[in-house]
Amino acid sequence: MSSTTGSLPTTAPILFEDYLALGIYVGIALFLVAILLLLSWGLGHRTRSRIKNEPYESGVYPTDNARLKGPVPFYLVAIFFILFDIEVIFVASWAVAYDRLGWAGFGQVSFFTLVLLVGLLHLWKTGALDWGPSAARQNRKNQDIP
Amino acid sequence: MASIMFYLLSLILLTATLLCIFQRNPVHAVLYLVLGFFSLAIMFYLLGAPLVAAWEVIVYAGAIMVLFLFIIMMLGLAPQDRPEGPGWQRWLPFVILMAAVLACTLVIIALDPAATAQGEPYSLGPQDFGEALFGKYALAVQVVSFQLLFAAVGAYNLGRIQRGKGKP
Repeated sequence: MSSTTGSLPTTAPILFEDYLALGIYVGIALFLVAILLLLSWGLGHRTRSRIKNEPYESGVYPTDNARLKGPVPFYLVAIFFILFDIEVIFVASWAVAYDRLGWAGFGQVSFFTLVLLVGLLHLWKTGALDWGPSAARQNRKNQDIP
Repeated sequence: MASIMFYLLSLILLTATLLCIFQRNPVHAVLYLVLGFFSLAIMFYLLGAPLVAAWEVIVYAGAIMVLFLFIIMMLGLAPQDRPEGPGWQRWLPFVILMAAVLACTLVIIALDPAATAQGEPYSLGPQDFGEALFGKYALAVQVVSFQLLFAAVGAYNLGRIQRGKGKP
């Protein structure tokens, strides 16, 4: 990294008020964490045994592994989330400069959103966003009809 | 000052990436990767690209990591043998690196609260970024919109539960 990008300028006078809000915020956060940890450390019992470490003490014995494999539809939701997250990036990039871009930029972003709206409508209509009992019911209905 | 910060963040990034590679637990590896993305975002900010820094956190640390975690969940990669007790030694490197990233961020904010370092010769503010994206590279943005449309439709067709089969 060269010296042209390097130095943070020190010309602007640094005001106490600039730090005050940040300092108060950091202080409250540290205080809250310290209080919670100290309270649970002071009030809690410190016995440690094999029975204490069980997930459900005096309850049902856990029989199987807790790490189950998730089904594929969850993965689809993650992919749709990423796609619309990337769309948010483009729209937000337009939004910060909307006044400089004018109506031409508005036309661009409208077309962009329109294309993705078509995608969203397609997903909606084909049932990609159906979830839980409604999707299961729909599936069962389709199975009954040969 | 920013040079020192840059090299410090590079060191954090390299350490986090190496730790990510050598983790046995995939979820821990993902956490180290998130840490690396955070330090990379601050490096982008130091290089004069604040919007790219924000997108780095939102898309990579937010969305791509979700995808990684879903893959881990789907394949069931988490190890079965877990030692008893809290095991704080295993978390110590992560905590130290995260504290270093947080300290770097706080120092940058403290030295330059109003972000006046944006007047550098080749820095690109959010407005300039948006103007270039929807002015000069507008056609590329439209191509990307079609690509996102194809991705959404294609992902659904590949991943949906086949009607009548029950399981994919």
